[in-house]
Amino acid sequence: MASAGNSGSGDDDSGGKLLVDRYLKGEKLGEGTYGIVFKAIDTKTENTVAIKKILIGKDSKEGVNFTALREIKLLKELKDPNIIELIDCFPHKKNLHLVFEFMETDLEAVIKDKTIRLTPADIKSYVQMMLKGLAFCHKKWVLHRDMKPNNLLIGADGQLKLADFGLARMFGSPGRNFTHQVFARWYRAPELLFGSKQYGSGVDIWAAGCIFAELLNRKPFLQGSSDIDQIGKIFASLGTPKSSQWPDMVYLPDYVEYQYVAPTPLRTLFPSASDDALDLLSKMFAYDPKARITAQQALEHRYFSTLPAPTIPSQLPRPRRKGESGNNKIPDLNLQDGPAVLSPRRKLRRVTAHEGIEGNMHRADKVDEHPSGTSFSSQSSRIPMSVDVGAVFGARPPPRPTLNSADKSRLKRKLDLDPEFGYAE
Amino acid sequence: MAANFWTSSHCKQLLDPEDVDVVPAADRERGITPEEFRLVKIHMSSHIWRLAQQVKVRQRVIATAVTYFRRVYTRKSMSEYDPRLVAPTCLYLASKVEESTVQARLLVFYIKKMCGSDDKYRFEIKDILEMEMKLLEALDYYLVVFHPYRPLLQLLQDAGITDLTQFAWGLVNDTYKMDLILIYPPYMIALACIYIASVLKDKDITSWFEELRVDMNIVKNISMEILDFYDTYKIDPQRGIPEDKISPVMNKLPAKA
Repeated sequence: MASAGNSGSGDDDSGGKLLVDRYLKGEKLGEGTYGIVFKAIDTKTENTVAIKKILIGKDSKEGVNFTALREIKLLKELKDPNIIELIDCFPHKKNLHLVFEFMETDLEAVIKDKTIRLTPADIKSYVQMMLKGLAFCHKKWVLHRDMKPNNLLIGADGQLKLADFGLARMFGSPGRNFTHQVFARWYRAPELLFGSKQYGSGVDIWAAGCIFAELLNRKPFLQGSSDIDQIGKIFASLGTPKSSQWPDMVYLPDYVEYQYVAPTPLRTLFPSASDDALDLLSKMFAYDPKARITAQQALEHRYFSTLPAPTIPSQLPRPRRKGESGNNKIPDLNLQDGPAVLSPRRKLRRVTAHEGIEGNMHRADKVDEHPSGTSFSSQSSRIPMSVDVGAVFGARPPPRPTLNSADKSRLKRKLDLDPEFGYAE
Repeated sequence: MAANFWTSSHCKQLLDPEDVDVVPAADRERGITPEEFRLVKIHMSSHIWRLAQQVKVRQRVIATAVTYFRRVYTRKSMSEYDPRLVAPTCLYLASKVEESTVQARLLVFYIKKMCGSDDKYRFEIKDILEMEMKLLEALDYYLVVFHPYRPLLQLLQDAGITDLTQFAWGLVNDTYKMDLILIYPPYMIALACIYIASVLKDKDITSWFEELRVDMNIVKNISMEILDFYDTYKIDPQRGIPEDKISPVMNKLPAKA
């Protein structure tokens, strides 16, 4: 399953080549368990695109990759401003190629870039775009099942789009069982952790709630180290659900009784958030999936109709983009991450995640500071966002230059094509 | 699938009846008549059906496979896309798309078992996998297909005639021997099957139909097409079209490379 270490051998077509008389191939952006992604110019539209080359294993007897097929099937049906566009598909040298619109960065890069200050209006904008994309999926009876910040891509125009539909599937057939092994662990809803096989769109909403929380506190909200630990982390923060709160809980296949813990007020967990934000968040974190707010209802929540208005996408801050012609292979010595950067990127993330777990134990009410951050743990990242004066007056300091965090996250994203390896160890 | 049909690619791809039964130029040159073209499609649909029973897949998968098969031949010729290979590949692709994968090697095994004597039906795994890619292209990568089965159950329930379920279900199955799924919305096909079932079983549900506010002319047209089909082809469901009738047609197609 590990994708690291595959040096892309056999990838004979290097950059500068014209594919199917249309796509001018550019540099490689990353690779994962089921494909290599490279940048290209669509000579028909002159747009930059990202092409995913689906590898067929040498000894594969099962043709077109199942995950790729799911992505094709669903994305052909889902055309929406907040969902990644599948522009084209074509076979070339026995490999299937998927052409996507090129996206500059992703939400994970935004969250992790501590030089970026997110105002309440910025957060509202991201959450709104995420929920719009989800509402569209759910209207079409598609569950995403892998919502996490690095699957939320951000275009040059600032639009956030849901991507990576390799785990997604259609729902609505009663009695059909689904696997509960979906989502990166930190974003898994409690019903999934208890082994539910007949879940619905609530699982995406829970994950969206986790992402909302991550935007508020700038660190993953519930960082469990195992499935059991994940449930423990959920209950420790949001309280152990009573059966009146979630009557069906005790019937779930993997249900185990947990010691009662009283919920921590969301106000304590998210000191910077507004009352409306917390009200919406509490509804996204409803334990009973039946009582959980839907994406459409969430969009109609007063959080989105009260001030501050969501930032216009094109004015959202984003990690600085690397030059077009840059060579991606230069290791980025990102000082933010301390000396650990020279290890493979996959590992780097694990290390970071681990630090996160330890570091966050007793500081749930504080904005995350990076352990090795020096110049970055400045005032700006610690100021609670609710008193963000800059936002009130619509001013924002220019984003400080960062070291290739967009490129790094894009690579990471592609290295992590296997969703089970999202953040987990 | 309860998904929204009206905004689906399936809905957008519905064709006019006159665009469906056109014999591609390459096949016409080989002397294949519209009647023979139809016959091959019926024959291969039941080939898919029988193969599917061997590998045991859900009804949905079969229906999707037949829909793919019929869609392909609104765009491609049988001379270029050998129906004997396209049929099992459609089943293979449909099984993956509908999330109940059948291994290619299993299909190859059962094809051999079913058509052992006839070399023209025998293919290797690599043939199926190669065709899978071509098929995806021929389908323009649109893979989601809606079927009349679910609306059928809901409508029967609504009309209070669930005792007709088995009969109406069988009718729906038989509509896949025709191109109806390429032309009409699935729920209209379901209504036509209910209409036929209610008439044949003497259930008066006229008032229920009236309340539905659907165009009854379309429902009746579909019903007539189905009844015409039964009149024209008296097909043995287990054995399909008799060998002496289909062989001469299949022989007009190029032998496999």
